[in-house]
Amino acid sequence: MAHDAHHAEGHAHAHWDTSVWPFVISFGILFLAVAFSFKFVYHNSFAAILSMGLALPMIIAGVAGWTSEAMGKGDGFSYSAMGWFILAEAMIFASFFVSYWYTRLHADVWPPAGNITLPKLMPLVMTFVLVASSLTIHYAEHLLHLGNKAGFRTWYLLTIVLGAVFLGMSIYEWSHLIHDGFTIGTNAFSTVFFSVTGLHGSHVVVGLGIFLAGLPTVMRGDVDEGFMRTAGLYWHFVDIIWFFVVSQIYYW
Amino acid sequence: MHDTLKRVLRGAAAMASGTALAASAQAADATKIANPAASWDHLWHEVIVDITIIGIIFALMTAYFVWKYRRRPGNEVGTSDKLSPASAVGWVVIPVFVFLSIDFYTAANGWVLWNEYRDVPADRLEVKLESGMYSWDYTYPNGVRTQNELIVPAGKPVMLRMTSRDTLHSHYIPDFRVKEDSMPGRVTYLWFNPTKPGEHIVTCAEYCGVMHGYMAGRIIVKAPEEYAAWMKQEETRLAAATAPAEATPAAKPAAKPVKKT
Amino acid sequence: MNLKEWIFTTDHKRVGVLYLIGSIVAFAVAGIMALLMRAELSTIGPTITGNPTQYNVWLYAHGAVMILGFQIPALTGFFANYCIPLMIGAKDVAFPRVNALSVWLFYVGIILAVLTFFIPDPPDVMWTGYPPYSTMTTGNTAMYSFTVLILGFASIIGGVNFLTTVAYMRAPGLTLNKLNIFVWCTLGAFVLQLIFVPVLGTAVTLISLDKYLGTNFFDPSKGGDVLTYQNLFWFYSHPAVYVIFLPFIGVVYEIIASHAKNMVFNYKMVVYGGIGGIVLLSGEVWVHHLYVSGMADWLRIGQMVTTLMISVPVGLMMIGLIGTLHKGSIAFTTPMMYALGVVFLFLIGGLTGVPLAVPSLTLAVSDTYYVVGHFHYVMAVAGTFAIFGGIYHWFPKVTGKMYNEFWGKVGFWITFVGVNIVFWIMMDIGVKGMPRRYYDYAHFPQFEDAHQWMTLGAGILAVGFAIAILNWILGAINGKPAGDNPWGSPSLEWSTVSPPPHGNWPTPPSVSEDWHPYGFKKA
Ligand code: HEA
Ligand code: HEA
Ligand code: CUA
Ligand SMILES: [Cu+2]
Repeated sequence: MAHDAHHAEGHAHAHWDTSVWPFVISFGILFLAVAFSFKFVYHNSFAAILSMGLALPMIIAGVAGWTSEAMGKGDGFSYSAMGWFILAEAMIFASFFVSYWYTRLHADVWPPAGNITLPKLMPLVMTFVLVASSLTIHYAEHLLHLGNKAGFRTWYLLTIVLGAVFLGMSIYEWSHLIHDGFTIGTNAFSTVFFSVTGLHGSHVVVGLGIFLAGLPTVMRGDVDEGFMRTAGLYWHFVDIIWFFVVSQIYYW
Repeated sequence: MHDTLKRVLRGAAAMASGTALAASAQAADATKIANPAASWDHLWHEVIVDITIIGIIFALMTAYFVWKYRRRPGNEVGTSDKLSPASAVGWVVIPVFVFLSIDFYTAANGWVLWNEYRDVPADRLEVKLESGMYSWDYTYPNGVRTQNELIVPAGKPVMLRMTSRDTLHSHYIPDFRVKEDSMPGRVTYLWFNPTKPGEHIVTCAEYCGVMHGYMAGRIIVKAPEEYAAWMKQEETRLAAATAPAEATPAAKPAAKPVKKT
Repeated sequence: MNLKEWIFTTDHKRVGVLYLIGSIVAFAVAGIMALLMRAELSTIGPTITGNPTQYNVWLYAHGAVMILGFQIPALTGFFANYCIPLMIGAKDVAFPRVNALSVWLFYVGIILAVLTFFIPDPPDVMWTGYPPYSTMTTGNTAMYSFTVLILGFASIIGGVNFLTTVAYMRAPGLTLNKLNIFVWCTLGAFVLQLIFVPVLGTAVTLISLDKYLGTNFFDPSKGGDVLTYQNLFWFYSHPAVYVIFLPFIGVVYEIIASHAKNMVFNYKMVVYGGIGGIVLLSGEVWVHHLYVSGMADWLRIGQMVTTLMISVPVGLMMIGLIGTLHKGSIAFTTPMMYALGVVFLFLIGGLTGVPLAVPSLTLAVSDTYYVVGHFHYVMAVAGTFAIFGGIYHWFPKVTGKMYNEFWGKVGFWITFVGVNIVFWIMMDIGVKGMPRRYYDYAHFPQFEDAHQWMTLGAGILAVGFAIAILNWILGAINGKPAGDNPWGSPSLEWSTVSPPPHGNWPTPPSVSEDWHPYGFKKA
């Protein structure tokens, strides 16, 4: 632009920071949206797969590129930023729960036709596993703070395993229910059940994803304490939300 | 200024007695049938006058300052001083008090009118309405049905219990100053008080689909005798069309009781 | 010029300029939709299209793009990005890459919105997207959901970014009571975004789930409830109007203080009473959009009171604004004209919200052109004037050049006349019964003249807006050099060269004890 010339002296050595990854991720997301429309609105699976084929590599490359470009170079603000982000996330869950309460409390009959009784033991085990994983990551951070890197690594890996076990149990339960004919479309309660547990599950996946993204540095031994604290905060949040899920969906 | 002051005082009084006002309004008019449409016009007018006055005060202040403090030689930079703590607090407390009084005064008035709107007279004609893309389907207590034309007797309040078979619609009768959405899975109601014969338009006020703008009907208010004659004729037609077993008047709708808040 | 350094930039100023370009394009697109709608409504019966769906698609795109693609991005994207780091003396935002992500997600959002005109079965669900229509239509509701979701996500990460920036990156000595009003306003807006956008995101996700994946959130035959959506939607979309209002009134404060060269009147009242009060109240009034939706009566009455009470903090902000003129030195520059225009137009728009707040009065005027008139005055006109004035005000900062004063004022007066014709008439026919979202008003022939006047007015105001946009383009290309601080303002953004270099200041600034962003001194 013309003004660059105007202040030419000041700009002679100016170098403007750039990063391609935000651009790549954004357009990856565009193709994701397009893929959804192709599949579900226009019923054109071929075009849908094609745009998914564009979307996924772009998003994955974008995230990977971004992490390797920026990891450890931040100004240490990520912990408090995660706090704000969690506020927003909590509101998503709140919206789901409030919709659920609103519908349930306004209903003339509840549960709606087609309901089945949910298992009661499984969710307890799942709660146990998830709480345990919250404790392990807390302990891992503690060890890291003390400088015990080997111990940190062990407890970190244990957390990932526990998270994966939780996810496995979720999938097991889902497949059983679906097998019994209780699907997301059965009635309003099944809709709530699958969408809320699914939403929570997706957060477990994201949490695990963050841990996995940090894994290479952990294995190399040059972990970033700020990163770990931020990741841990998110994981605790996922844990706390689970209490709401269990109490509202399974035991009410 | 005098006017505002009076208003503020009235507002403060209303604030204190909002409940009492609402209650007494109903008790006094127990025998007379209310006419919310007329009260609506009255309150609307009053609120519009209020906000016009407020608007003019603020606008005149602005215009005056803009003129008085325009940039002139010798006035190159603003000269307002820092407020003293007392006046800083005063500039919060006094406006808050004034604004709140106006708000509560408006609220109390609105509440009285609301009670009038929700106080459905016991002696009424109750009609069921099912809306659909794109028609208004009315069912009278005796099973007579009409489409897009609601025929009612003058002098008798009419209450509609409304639901929808597809999307949202809103049964809007501009002349009677009422509208309420009808929607699937819920029952809503509205009522109005047609006093003299005539025709009124019903128009759909909630976006319901492609032909939303064309979803119109009429309320036809007939003199009581004419209405009775029309109803008689419809009843015989209905009886002829349906099997005798079905011709008994439909059971009273199991609708929710009309509650007042 | 290096195109790559623009597209992949992470610098807050360039990100801001990208936001500006995108949102002005969105404004032009949505404005043209408005002109098409006005043309269609100029006569009863089909005028320029015989297909009601076509009109509904224009209306959908107009509402959604104006709010989500123009005003929110212009205010919380352009102004916030450009001004906040400069106003707090920071070299950039806390997370520059996240900032770049949010601007490109914004572009993706408007690309999706503009695709509306090219895809088969475009969305026709209005900007509110109420089910069951939105889950029954053959239109592409998914497009609506994704547009809203992506723009919403962009705005959440923007919010996280700016809250962190202001919390940790202020120049030494810049205490909270020395922040520009605009910074405070934007912080308030971002807090609202963080709390409420997720609710909107949920709402629009649920309609696509219902429509495409067979869930039953809003299907009463399976135990769902249609009103759930409306509650979620307005729980966001009412606060959203303050997400627009707060930054735009913040911009107006900056303009009035700078061009009257005066201290903001009762700063703490404005910040804590005005902004704070709005943020606190805005989550408790959403039911005023559901007064005719069959909500429980106690909710309608309760929220009547909270809605009316919003006039208190807003009124305090008006007092602060008008008080800033008192004993000022008012220069009638183009930005100042727009700012004064906002004061008058916002008064009309805000005060006409007062009868709407009363549920018994709303029974007659809800969903009529009265409401359309109200929100065009308060948002479309007052908000757009603030944005235009703000662009003029910071034009010398962004480009280093001066716009043309004469054409600036001409543009202002033409639009000022135009908007009053269009939106005043709207309120009038609304009270008389003209419902909104009508492609055709065959059973209201009495309003045809009024509609013709409005179409004429829309033509007038479009000319005014086009003059302003041309003025910027020409000014950016060959305006006269403006100097670093043409308004003589002590606010920090004017303390560096125009346009500021990467990093903003050669050495990070710090402020002294007696400095204040509105402490104007004689030259
Ligand atoms: C920037 C946007 C913006 C702003 C700031 C406002 C501000 C207000 N709005 Fe508006 N509104 C919208 C945008 C906005 N609105 C939109 C987009 C819609 C329609 C959406 C749709 O359906 O598509 C809408 C619809 C809408 C409705 C729903 C109507 C309906 O659909 O039936 C209502 C009802 O209460 C309402 C009320 C108010 C009130 C009370 C305020 C108050 O905040 C106004 C406060 C301001 C003042 C009162 C003036 C200044 C104050 C003083 C001078 C002090 C003294 C005054 C008093 C004491 C009264 N608005
Ligand atoms: C910020 C928001 C905003 C803005 C700025 C506007 C601006 C305008 N609006 Fe909009 N409007 C809404 C938000 C807004 N509107 C919303 C939310 C709705 C409700 C939607 C719904 O019901 O779902 C609505 C609905 C709405 C209706 C109701 C239709 C109906 O209910 O059937 C109408 C009718 O006249 C209308 C008209 C206008 C007009 C004439 C303008 C004018 O001010 C527009 C002027 C702008 C231009 C004309 C563009 C000028 C620029 C150029 C011409 C480009 C030049 C280019 C270069 C030089 C490069 N609007
Ligand atoms: Cu029926 Cu609109
Ligand atoms: Cu609102």
